[in-house]
Amino acid sequence: MSGVLVTGATAPIGMALVRSLLDDGSVGPIIAVGGESASRAPLWRHPRLTYVPLDLADARGLRQLLFGPALEKRVETIVHLGLHAAATQVGPRIHRLNVDSTRLLLRLAERHSTIRRFVFRSFGEVYRMDAAQPHILREDQPLNLSVHAPQWIRDRVEADLTVCTRMGLSRLKIIDLRFAEIFAPGVGSQLYDYLASRICFRPLGYDPMMNLLTLADAVRAIELAQRRNAQGIFNIPGADVLPLSGAIRKWGRAPVPVPGLLLGPLYRLRTLVLGTDFRYDLNHWRFHFSGVLDGRRALEELGYEPLHRVAWPGEGEPPPLQRRPESAAEPAMPLGARGSSRP
Amino acid sequence: MHAGALAAHEQWFSPRRVARTLVPPGLLRRIDALRHDDRGHGYDRFGMHRDWVALAAALTRSLYEHWFRVTAIGVEHIPRSGPAILAANHSGTLPFDAMMIWADVLRHTDPPRAPRAVLDHFVTKLPFFSTVFTRAGAVGGSRGNLHALLDDGELILLFPEGVPGIGKDFRERYRLQLWRVGHAELAIHHGAPIVPVAVVGAEEQMPQIARLKTPLFGAPYLPIALTPFPLPVHYRIYYGEPIPVAERYHPGESDVPAAVEELAQEVCDRVRALLELGLASRGEAIFR
Repeated sequence: MSGVLVTGATAPIGMALVRSLLDDGSVGPIIAVGGESASRAPLWRHPRLTYVPLDLADARGLRQLLFGPALEKRVETIVHLGLHAAATQVGPRIHRLNVDSTRLLLRLAERHSTIRRFVFRSFGEVYRMDAAQPHILREDQPLNLSVHAPQWIRDRVEADLTVCTRMGLSRLKIIDLRFAEIFAPGVGSQLYDYLASRICFRPLGYDPMMNLLTLADAVRAIELAQRRNAQGIFNIPGADVLPLSGAIRKWGRAPVPVPGLLLGPLYRLRTLVLGTDFRYDLNHWRFHFSGVLDGRRALEELGYEPLHRVAWPGEGEPPPLQRRPESAAEPAMPLGARGSSRP
Repeated sequence: MHAGALAAHEQWFSPRRVARTLVPPGLLRRIDALRHDDRGHGYDRFGMHRDWVALAAALTRSLYEHWFRVTAIGVEHIPRSGPAILAANHSGTLPFDAMMIWADVLRHTDPPRAPRAVLDHFVTKLPFFSTVFTRAGAVGGSRGNLHALLDDGELILLFPEGVPGIGKDFRERYRLQLWRVGHAELAIHHGAPIVPVAVVGAEEQMPQIARLKTPLFGAPYLPIALTPFPLPVHYRIYYGEPIPVAERYHPGESDVPAAVEELAQEVCDRVRALLELGLASRGEAIFR
């Protein structure tokens, strides 16, 4: 049975993945790597689970991890989830964590005798979005390489490209999963933090389409990537496709359109006063132009399609979706009869 | 103000309510029967929503039925299903021609289809307009969007002349501008038939007398028309026989410039022929 090493294992997505891998009897030993000390790590005891506290920016520690416990447990797959989530924290240490650790982990994995597969969690935010770009983002969409992009985005683009440049040149099967926004607390979701306010300001005259992913679907995509013999870049879309104003309303908040020029100062003030994580400069473009990930490649090669909708307040836990039929068209419902968007 | 009160305040406007008041039941039934790839909240991936389609039908109804009194010829040529491209001449200072073709196709296709009008990039930057057009089914004119739509089997409405067509001087009316070839490349790649469309009447609706440069939203210019509103010209929309692209070209030929240019030229010639036919049958009866 193949072993799996998961970085970022104490964050919500890492924890959900580890739990799911433990439930899967076909997976061998699991090494969970997190920043917290072993006593504070929110993980449970299990005979197949080994927790390793490690700062990923520590190059020596990474070497010891890969050629120590990972070799001993015959790890075959690395799932690298350990990117810094907070958008308000910047600087060289964050860059080392986001980019340099990814590069080193990949380089060490290539030299490793048991590791065969490298699964990297990337982000839909790496794509460039403007009026001239498609609303449906395929994997070959241009990336946001602007020097004016905030570090949060630049780091993610650089880490993504670092992984992509080794595809086909390495003996590893490298899988780059570009996730739609995972709408959950503690995962670095800008939209989740944005919706924490009772009143949500949005750009006047614009209402772009957004795509939200649940933690359950994100974990399922990683598991499929870990099992399949695939390689390459895969968009991982979510089941919820709706406009920004719709997301605000469904979350029980009030959308207040204001001229776009005011949004930057307003949200900077909010961050200063309340210490929140939402940064308008990170979201400026996607608050104006639609960007929905195209998941065709993930469907064809990984067998992934989103099955879980966001549990919007007042709607209860939505049941899992059925796999979509060949024809994308859905039966029409009379205008008067519609009103619920629930499956 | 309480958040709930604000939410209620913004929801006072309901496109569904407006549409149900203004659109006759027969047309509403057609909109209900539209093929719509609902992604769970009533919207498709591009942002189209049936309620907004109904609202657009309501807003264009008076223009279509009473102001421009649109006459359609050859609607049977529009494919009933599958990917297809409507390629039309463009004119009139403001895009009422696109709205009238959209309204016409919605009324005359069986099963009903709502063509996805292709917007110039600057339109997708315009506040309000970009949102309203998108909700009614229009999309930004990037190559990726069009490929995705044809992959989904949609009917696309585009104007190969682009802005030079709609913005031409009055004395240039009914003279096709530079006919771009992107639609031919798309059609060959997807094996989608092209239906040539000629709009007669729109060229006289708003004679343009000047253009002002504007730095706003990337718009190429601000048109100054002789009249603040379109004149009540009689629209005649001619749909030609579809060009069976899949029968004549292999998808790989979308990368062969000669094949693409040949097909684009054929579409252009057919639109020109339809225009000449329309002008000959109309004579001097611009408003009748």
